[in-house]
Amino acid sequence: MTGIVISSRRILRELRIYACCVLAALLVNVYSIVRFNTQWKELLTTLHITLAVACVFYVLLAIVRGAAFCTRLALRRKTG
Amino acid sequence: MIPTRGSLPHGLRGVMDFDSSSAGMQGRADRREFLKRLAVVAGSSALIAELPWWSPLRAEPVAEAASDRVRLGLVGVGTRGNLHISHLLRTPGVQLAALCDDYDPHLQAGLARVNGAKGFSDFRHMLDMPDLDGVLIATPLNQHARMCLDAFSAGKHVFCEKSLAYTIEECQSIADAYRGSKRVFQIGHQRMFSPVFLRALELVRSGTIGQITQIRAYWHRNGNWRNPIPDPSLDRRLNWRLYREYSCGLMTELASHHMQVANWFLGAHPLSCVGYGSINYWKDGRELYDNVNVVYRYPNGTHVIYDSLISNKFYGMEVQVMGPKGLIEAEAGRLYAETPPPAPGIVQLINSIEHGFFDTVPIGGPTWVPDLKRDTRGVALVHDDNSGDDGTGISLAAFANAIRLGQPIPAMMEQACHSGVCVLMGQTAMEQQREVAWPEGFRI
Repeated sequence: MTGIVISSRRILRELRIYACCVLAALLVNVYSIVRFNTQWKELLTTLHITLAVACVFYVLLAIVRGAAFCTRLALRRKTG
Repeated sequence: MIPTRGSLPHGLRGVMDFDSSSAGMQGRADRREFLKRLAVVAGSSALIAELPWWSPLRAEPVAEAASDRVRLGLVGVGTRGNLHISHLLRTPGVQLAALCDDYDPHLQAGLARVNGAKGFSDFRHMLDMPDLDGVLIATPLNQHARMCLDAFSAGKHVFCEKSLAYTIEECQSIADAYRGSKRVFQIGHQRMFSPVFLRALELVRSGTIGQITQIRAYWHRNGNWRNPIPDPSLDRRLNWRLYREYSCGLMTELASHHMQVANWFLGAHPLSCVGYGSINYWKDGRELYDNVNVVYRYPNGTHVIYDSLISNKFYGMEVQVMGPKGLIEAEAGRLYAETPPPAPGIVQLINSIEHGFFDTVPIGGPTWVPDLKRDTRGVALVHDDNSGDDGTGISLAAFANAIRLGQPIPAMMEQACHSGVCVLMGQTAMEQQREVAWPEGFRI
């Protein structure tokens, strides 16, 4: 069985992507607080929901990135 | 603003978290610690400061020296009497010096639980004990008045189980005797000392549910309400709650608790009442109703609706205090806001997206939606109350402290008379099938 090696560069990149997802989820939270006229303290009190939404964003992004990777791979094989 | 999960008035929550299961010396030490904490809280709470019957609790319990102990006698060693024994054995500064019951098996069982208590079969002989400070009366209803009057005459302080008396005239006699006695009187309405009911009152006073527009109270059980008896000849004596000679049944034995709460929360006594009662299921020779329905009319057009039956227990018991902004279920300890606080914005956003995806598109719908009960869990009035005490233990400690301090509490007699007269009005309304008014000239 072949071991899978994940480079530190790759881990750092994934963490940066997740951080972007958290930021995006926070912005969504800000939008929802403004739209539904609720309290600003929800930025803290609903942090668990924000992190969960960030995970959803990350998974959706992973699907998109996977699809892009597969497309690129297919094109490379076709041209190469 | 609708409060979220509540705390007890001024930190009573922490005080109530004590282990009530321990017995004997350890239990007494726990209770002493509990009462010390209670004294601090009772001295600092604005709400409690308004409730005169809490004032004796501001004094810390005294040391265990024999000279400092309040010596009490208990008459009626039945179910309720035994519960009092359990509480009194854990109450610091109290000595249960005498027990009295004219049913010997009960008396002997009680004496076996209380070291050093003297036994009596005649209440008047117990009153002759010169070093007895007060008496607790837990006998059938028809004996309350005579015993209260005898006790006041003998210079004893009195704790009387609810309901106050068998007739309205007897209620008046007790109030008159109390007025001249300068003795402590307490009624066994333990909800006056219940932290959950205190929190409910606090919410009512703060306007959380708005003006009280109606109170609905009920107490449902499913059983014949009979105690096991060793011999049929003892039926009337041990199942006195079923016979008119001794009691007014569901009204005096159950309804009095909730009517006390209603009077207390509304700050008034009813103006009149109407009602119906019958024996429609337990047709076993009993004389008192097995189901009762009474409507009380209060000032400002407020109504209290009470019903009780012993043939279905699905709904159990409850006092529902209703206002335009919310409903409090005091027994369950929950508050239901008419307009619940909105969910966090992000949850609302997620829900709206979800509805956009999964909701069906209505083509035609009902023009009328049934007003069914809203399916909501509401908000707890208090955090976990680990005291295991519905207020009975606290009320007995308050009684003992009031005796020690020599501090009669007239408001207690007012509560006793209001609830006692209330339930007797209801019983009369049902028996005579007419509207019964609050007795004119009744003086507390």
